[in-house]
Amino acid sequence: MGAEKLSEQLEQIVLKRIAEDSLVLPTLPSVVAKALEVLKDPDVSFKQVGTIIERDPVIAARLLRQATSAAFAGGTKKVTLPEALTRLGAKAVRSLLVEATAQKVFMSRDPKIADSMKRVWQHSVAVATLSRDVLALSGNADSEAAYLAGLLHDVGKPVVAAILLEFERQMTEVYNRPFIDSAEWMAVIARTHRPVGVALAEKWQMPEQVTRCIRDSAEYDNADRASLVNIVCFSNSLAKKTGLYAGTIDADEVDALVMIGRSIIGANDEIIKTLTRGLKERLSNLYD
Amino acid sequence: MATILTVDDSRSVRTIVAKQVKDLGFEVEEAEDGVQGLSKLGEREYDLVLLDVTMPNLDGPGMLAKMREGGNKTPVIMLTSESKRSVVSGVMKIGIADYILKPFKPEELRAKVLSVLQGEGGAEDVLAVTSEPAAAAPEPAGRVEAGKQFVDVLVVDDMENVHKKLRTMLPAHITLNGVTSAQAALQSCRQRVYRVALVDTEIPDVDSAVLAQQLKVLQPHAAFVALALRTTNDVLGEARAQGFDNVLFKPFSQDNVDDFIGQYFDNLDLLTAEENVLKAAAFTGRADRIDKYYTRIAETFSPALNKVAAACFEDVILDVSVAPTTGDRLAKFLLAAADQAKQVGMRFAVVGGGELQKILNTYTETKELKFYASVSEAQAASQA
Repeated sequence: MGAEKLSEQLEQIVLKRIAEDSLVLPTLPSVVAKALEVLKDPDVSFKQVGTIIERDPVIAARLLRQATSAAFAGGTKKVTLPEALTRLGAKAVRSLLVEATAQKVFMSRDPKIADSMKRVWQHSVAVATLSRDVLALSGNADSEAAYLAGLLHDVGKPVVAAILLEFERQMTEVYNRPFIDSAEWMAVIARTHRPVGVALAEKWQMPEQVTRCIRDSAEYDNADRASLVNIVCFSNSLAKKTGLYAGTIDADEVDALVMIGRSIIGANDEIIKTLTRGLKERLSNLYD
Repeated sequence: MATILTVDDSRSVRTIVAKQVKDLGFEVEEAEDGVQGLSKLGEREYDLVLLDVTMPNLDGPGMLAKMREGGNKTPVIMLTSESKRSVVSGVMKIGIADYILKPFKPEELRAKVLSVLQGEGGAEDVLAVTSEPAAAAPEPAGRVEAGKQFVDVLVVDDMENVHKKLRTMLPAHITLNGVTSAQAALQSCRQRVYRVALVDTEIPDVDSAVLAQQLKVLQPHAAFVALALRTTNDVLGEARAQGFDNVLFKPFSQDNVDDFIGQYFDNLDLLTAEENVLKAAAFTGRADRIDKYYTRIAETFSPALNKVAAACFEDVILDVSVAPTTGDRLAKFLLAAADQAKQVGMRFAVVGGGELQKILNTYTETKELKFYASVSEAQAASQA
């Protein structure tokens, strides 16, 4: 089956599962294990738990969903990660993490694919960190909103990847046949993740600006220069340019996005250097 | 004088661009589409072209392609309302120096025009690849952005008493701004240029490490110091892991504040240089801190001496007339300084009062140093 055909089928399956609320989401075991470990300490602060959980877009999305449904039936209020942690409390957060570990261990048999998936997570944290810092250029202190938008801008990728994992297991374990290679795997994810991410964000009633970033952050929005979409788009291109990305990159398009972003965001070369200084090193051991 | 060609089908854009470019002292000529633009380029050479994308007859990418096909390498800045990555990527491949999105701020246009004309086009790779920290004691001179006020210290702490207390412990010439929230800190960092930012590690509802990182984007040359309580933990290690350069402990002690001043401020003015004369500043602290004064002055002497040597002076004159003479620290410092001067092949002379002369005569090693009662005497002797 070609990557295009597989993408189409996969998108339909994921969208159906989102609509039926039967999606099984993957998490990185290292993040959950670390979060559970610190939660054993009765004196632990939510700040400490938050710094671990904010490394995983899927856990973050689940926390937001639970906090939103618990506190606001309508789901219209904007909820940040620290607010979600405070509202749910340590017990509920622990339950959610235990449930997450029971559901899915996110590891492919193919080491290249397993590594690519780690880098998907790493890219999300890179874009989140950069978005938060880029927002500061405008003097805006709402760093949590920017971080969240950056963290979740590619949330469709792990969702699609989880279904691909299912396919991989079926092919290799049941039918004893080889599955697609890592390049095709990433190509399928690249084709399908955006509509899947938007569907998930809408179903889970994520903040509107998060949904906008998932849907629109591949291009800049001229009409609203200060929008989070532009901040995430610029941060995304900087993360790619820094090498914090999984998949194929069109280097010319990334250069173009950085150049446009310099004008839209008002970032000069010195600011860009400060934004990206040490970022790769800081994120290199995030999931060990 | 540089001449710039602005190619845009909008008369108002051409007028605005022309005004800004003329204000920079450059000449400007106008063309209203790609055909006219190419014609103008055929008549004379320009130093820079400001080029719109969407125009009648021949659009910007079309004109750019023809320029490059014909061997014309004049730098081009795209000035356009087009922000689609595919379009910009296309013109980047043909060759542009920079890009400005309309509507634009005049300062962005001026900065990018100057940058390209000075050969610092923005299209090159500008990403930082290393994790080099900011300089511990940045030099604000010459780096202060136009129109921004320079302030020595920013204190970010939700308790105003912290700002007030530190103010009373700093010398009057060190300027300080105190803010109590992350929002106010960000705003302040947009409007001013700081030498050092002190950020409390326990501001309610604020992750101080995150805030410090955000402030660094706005203040890339500032040193960042954490304000923390003394605990049994490795506070300095923790602060450094969070991206701070150093720690200043609360509650403040005068010793710690003096060290802070010494690290980030005093060294900059402790030894001033005028041609080949190095003048040591007066010591103003408590008597038990004289050792630290001489340690710092000794640290600054070597680079100052190298600058004098690099300027091809044969003599260096060290004026210590206001330096403290208590104990043997001055004599030791002068011996070390004389030795360093000898090593770089320079003659060394020292200027001071009667007390210094007595000290020099006290020790066998310092008796041989050339002593003068005034700088003018030392200069006259070196020229003789």
